[in-house]
Amino acid sequence: MFRMLLWKEWQENRWKLLFCGVASVVFTVMLFRIRIVPDFSNCMLISLVQMFVVPVVYSLDIFSGEVSNRTIHLLFKIPAPRWMIFFSKYLVSALGMALIFVVTGVLMELLAHGRETRMLFLLKTNLLCGAAGLFLFTWFCVFGCQSRSEAGSLVAMFGVFIGWGIAFFWATVCEVTWATPFAPYSLTGLTESGPVVAIFLQSLVSVAVLAIACHRYVSIRRYL
Amino acid sequence: MRTAAIIHQQICQLRWHLLACLGLIMLLPIEEAAVNMHAGAGFHSIGMAVAAIMFSPLLAGLIACANVQGDLSEKRYIFWRSKPASVKKLMALKFFVGLVLALAVTACPIVFAVVSSALCGKDLDDPPLKYYVPIPIIVAVMTYSLCFGCNVLVRNTARSWLIGMLLAGFVLVFPFMLPLGFKDIVSDVGLRAWGFYPATILVISVAAFVFALYAAQHDWHLKTNLRGLLWAGTGLVFLMLILFSSQVANIRVLDEKEVEIESGWRPFSLDKVEGKPIFQGRSYVNSNESNISLDRFIDKSHPGITRRLRRRTGNRYLRIYPEAGGLYKKAGDDLYVLIIHSYHRREKKNNIYEKLYLRNYKLTSGSWKQANELDLSDCLTGETNYLRVAMRLIDNTLVVCVKNSFVVVDVTDPAEPKQIDKKLDVLSGIKSLRYEDRQREFSIPLVPVEQISAEERIKLSIDLRYRFSYLDNDIYESSIVDVHDGKFAFFPVSEQDVARFDVLRWDEEKVYCRFASARPFTILEGMTGTSYSGYSTLVEDGRLYCHGSNTLLVFDVRSSSRIRKLGHFVRMDCHIDDMSILDDSNILLSARWTVSSKGGRSRERKKFVYLLKNPE
Repeated sequence: MFRMLLWKEWQENRWKLLFCGVASVVFTVMLFRIRIVPDFSNCMLISLVQMFVVPVVYSLDIFSGEVSNRTIHLLFKIPAPRWMIFFSKYLVSALGMALIFVVTGVLMELLAHGRETRMLFLLKTNLLCGAAGLFLFTWFCVFGCQSRSEAGSLVAMFGVFIGWGIAFFWATVCEVTWATPFAPYSLTGLTESGPVVAIFLQSLVSVAVLAIACHRYVSIRRYL
Repeated sequence: MRTAAIIHQQICQLRWHLLACLGLIMLLPIEEAAVNMHAGAGFHSIGMAVAAIMFSPLLAGLIACANVQGDLSEKRYIFWRSKPASVKKLMALKFFVGLVLALAVTACPIVFAVVSSALCGKDLDDPPLKYYVPIPIIVAVMTYSLCFGCNVLVRNTARSWLIGMLLAGFVLVFPFMLPLGFKDIVSDVGLRAWGFYPATILVISVAAFVFALYAAQHDWHLKTNLRGLLWAGTGLVFLMLILFSSQVANIRVLDEKEVEIESGWRPFSLDKVEGKPIFQGRSYVNSNESNISLDRFIDKSHPGITRRLRRRTGNRYLRIYPEAGGLYKKAGDDLYVLIIHSYHRREKKNNIYEKLYLRNYKLTSGSWKQANELDLSDCLTGETNYLRVAMRLIDNTLVVCVKNSFVVVDVTDPAEPKQIDKKLDVLSGIKSLRYEDRQREFSIPLVPVEQISAEERIKLSIDLRYRFSYLDNDIYESSIVDVHDGKFAFFPVSEQDVARFDVLRWDEEKVYCRFASARPFTILEGMTGTSYSGYSTLVEDGRLYCHGSNTLLVFDVRSSSRIRKLGHFVRMDCHIDDMSILDDSNILLSARWTVSSKGGRSRERKKFVYLLKNPE
């Protein structure tokens, strides 16, 4: 059943993979060929834009699409537990996002090979931004799993961006060092230093966040 | 058609979106203001207000989509299409009401920043607002128009927003791919350049608006699952990529030469004698248009002028100025180098400077031999625990500045340098340029060295004032002053920007200057460390060259209205030691590569000399 759900989500969401993948590849090729700024700046620019845009694209209708298309009734009548439905959606989104970042990172490495940066530096930077994007998307799941419209999902996603922006700003400016690794944005600046601790902490938090999101999704009542 | 009623209806329709966008855009500035207030700096925000404005194009697109979708959803659409209203007028009205509201949302952080800063007595002309605000506003107008047009066609909020953003991104990047000579994001693209780029953005906005009117009039509706649009768009973009994306704005590497590593560490200097570069005081650098070669004139058994000296004798320590290289002078076939040596002892963690010598060395059968020395110890006046030294060789006259004193030496015969003037405690101290200096005319004391021309005096005065930093010792082979058509300008580089100051006039005692313009470093340059490139700067033939640890930036500084970045050279893991501009305008760069081994302890070092094409 889980494989069927994954297949359904893949069918419904592959346009996002194509859209974000093609846009990322096109802009990466363009910016790395015209080289108006150094390669690392190009990498940061693309990675940061991806970090915000890719989760937005995936969050648009991953949950609300079922409501706006009125398919949620049918989906919930499938003989599969709701947590499985939730995780099939999350997994397809997470894998799609990861694939986009890996492809872009590898492309950056190939285009900039032997030019300005050391080997795998751009890939690492891009993947860390990707990890930050994934953690932001995970947080979105808590607030957006019950949204009924794309606009609602968009507002929830922007809310997560801004919310973590506030937390990160507070942690940085007020020098609250223990809080900084918990902010997904902190990963973007950890290419040189070790990101392992921050990733581990955020993974732990993400598991908890996913559990809450799953619980909220499972307890949906009002649409039925 | 009741215009006022429609405007009212539009505002009511958008009120929740506006409030949401307002909340999103104002949260960070308000947080910054709260943090500032908590720190006792008053309830004001500038940095986060600027950051929030960067998001305004995204929110403007969102407002545009919400604006159109409200009346183009299936049921409402049928309703208002059945009314005797002019479609074009209605859509135009919707467009402008939404645009005004979107701009009002965008303006909120700016107004907040300006008002809160004014109330807290902060400077309203703080650079970030002025530099970073205009372009996002214009881009917001474009994203609004594009999203509006897309939504009229696609009639799906989220997908219209995405397509609109994708198109906006493409419009922003595409002009750089055309052969228009765009090289600098700030100067060529920034609003103050008022050129092709902002015009393109505005034209695209107008075109999107006209398209939206036309699409609404003819009831175009693209029922899409994005697939067709995606592939058509992708094909178009790739076609354009193949056709146009060949412009390269970085500095081209013409040749790269790895230099043999010898034991011991010292900076790898590039000096010049009669236009010919000397690498590390050991080799001439021969170069042509495409390659370089090193011609060593020192025997391998003699490592060089500075390393062969003992740094410590008893409790006295030796310092060498310059740490790298020296001032080279030719007399016939003989090559000399002029160097300053200071001796100090250590007392309670302080260095107490006791002796100072100007020494000259002659290249004799493959090694440097000391030829002569001048005792300059009487220049060590005032506090003895710090020392600043600078030298400049102007034809046959050497000016040595020690703390606030100077000595003029005739080196017509470099084997026998003759002291021709010495003045103690006549130089004014160093000064850093502050933001207030940009608001008013200010003066710099002219150095009282009568043996050199007025032009050289002005250059030396400015360099001593703004390059002669507190504990930094430098030898001035180069200058930050540009002289063109009898006009002087100088270009200090800070973490925020590259500034241009014009010399207005001068008299026997002072040089009068005024701020002319500045090229700010972008947020991205700040994030990636490119902006901290003011490590070493020089101006030559209307170009400013500045390098940091691993980045070289070249700016065109001849125009009085703008400073324009021409190119960059970046090597990660690299430490740029020195640079030199060759007679054919190519750039010579010496750098060290330090690579950690697998264990992370031992470090492999490589030395490189780069020949770079000066960007056009």
